[in-house]
Amino acid sequence: MAAPTQRGLVRLPLRVCLQGAESLLNPIRLAQSSLVVPVRTKKRLILPPRVKTKYTTPEEQKEKMRASGIVIPHEKLERSITLACTASIFDPYIPPEGDARLSSLSKETLKQRAVQLKQSTISQLAIRKVKQYDPNFSSKTFPEMAQKIFIEAHDCLTNFNKDKLHSLVTERCYPEMVRGNRYKTIRWSFVESLEPPRTVQIRHFTMMNKDNLYGQVTVRMHTRQTVVIYDQFGRLMYGAEDVPKDVLEYVVFERHLVNPYSSWRLHGKIVPSWAPPKDPTY
Amino acid sequence: MLKLNANYDTFLASVNIFPLSNMYTGSSREIIGKWEKKNRVVYPPQLPGEPRRPAVIYHCRREIKYSKDKMWYLATLIKGMSIDQALAQLQFNDKKGAKVIREVLLEAQELAVTKYNVEFKSNLYIAKSLTGKGQYLKKIRYHGRGKFGIMEKVRCHYFVKLVEGPPPPPEPPKTGFDQAKEYVQQLRNRTIINAL
Repeated sequence: MAAPTQRGLVRLPLRVCLQGAESLLNPIRLAQSSLVVPVRTKKRLILPPRVKTKYTTPEEQKEKMRASGIVIPHEKLERSITLACTASIFDPYIPPEGDARLSSLSKETLKQRAVQLKQSTISQLAIRKVKQYDPNFSSKTFPEMAQKIFIEAHDCLTNFNKDKLHSLVTERCYPEMVRGNRYKTIRWSFVESLEPPRTVQIRHFTMMNKDNLYGQVTVRMHTRQTVVIYDQFGRLMYGAEDVPKDVLEYVVFERHLVNPYSSWRLHGKIVPSWAPPKDPTY
Repeated sequence: MLKLNANYDTFLASVNIFPLSNMYTGSSREIIGKWEKKNRVVYPPQLPGEPRRPAVIYHCRREIKYSKDKMWYLATLIKGMSIDQALAQLQFNDKKGAKVIREVLLEAQELAVTKYNVEFKSNLYIAKSLTGKGQYLKKIRYHGRGKFGIMEKVRCHYFVKLVEGPPPPPEPPKTGFDQAKEYVQQLRNRTIINAL
């Protein structure tokens, strides 16, 4: 609102006069006004070849750069990696042949063998080490917990509940379970457990430093399960509906012992060489 | 100030200062096209009594250095053929696009067998075969007398849909008898307006 001109001067209100002054005082606005904005040409898909290429080798270019005074800050590409699981099953358990078969040996000798295996010295040492970090660990109660984790993990697989599956299964096992299943429909159900699960081997390992401890427990499970897999177009690929099959598995669970918030997770399976062949896929 | 910036940019473009940074870049085509997304459809499991649903594979190749109009002739050539017949025809075709389409078909066949649970690699036929326009570049073509023309460097996309099963039989040509039947039907369809 300009006042009527008097003697050629325009009397403006104070805030209008001081608008310019404010920008000078504000440092951010000052920087913006002094920045040179380069005018952009249209984005070309292919740049034309450079005509005068005097310096081609990287060493020559570095020299020229130093001479012209352009400094490129050397960024350190550091990406921290957390190892929450080991890469494989160390010292895999070798299951005895004829484990779940009717053999000429009596049941008693088999039981004795089983007990002997569990009481091997390395397993005892490992149990002691594991109890150091996890006082609630017991080799007798662990197999039931392990079976629960096993069933939950497979249920998550059928529902494709990725978040829960990551908490139940280690990073090494996850791609093995999930690969190729993205567009497939899987139906899995756990019918019953034929024999109570039992721990068969316990080991502990260190990775990178001496303090980084991981514990691996092998559990023997003899169960009855049904599995049906349909492919992307809804056609039957493997298994049959409502046909339970007896399965003998040696499942390995792992835990990062040093981390107090870690939990026992499915790490992998040991498939013995004498296992029966699988059904064909359609 | 401007000139220094320009040198800096072109210098950086010519020299790869951080070679490791390339490992985090994806392919230049980040937009996943509609044709590729058609492969993501998952059907519910079929009941035991239903007939077996044929597998469908959508495959494409983008930004082929060829004209879409010239590619169209090859696309219509193989429409409706079985995959073996199409591959044979393209093998002995002299056009540049024939080689490209043959590669695309072989890729699609591989995908079908490994990923989409197709039993026999010959048991496929081409249900759809299309071409589309890719991104064009413009260049100057100099003529005499100070005249110029804008040259377009053309590129095209090629899309193919393979379906499992024997190829459908071709439609029989329309006979005179069929045409006559249609004519008579048209006469019978006439109605008299404004009448009882």
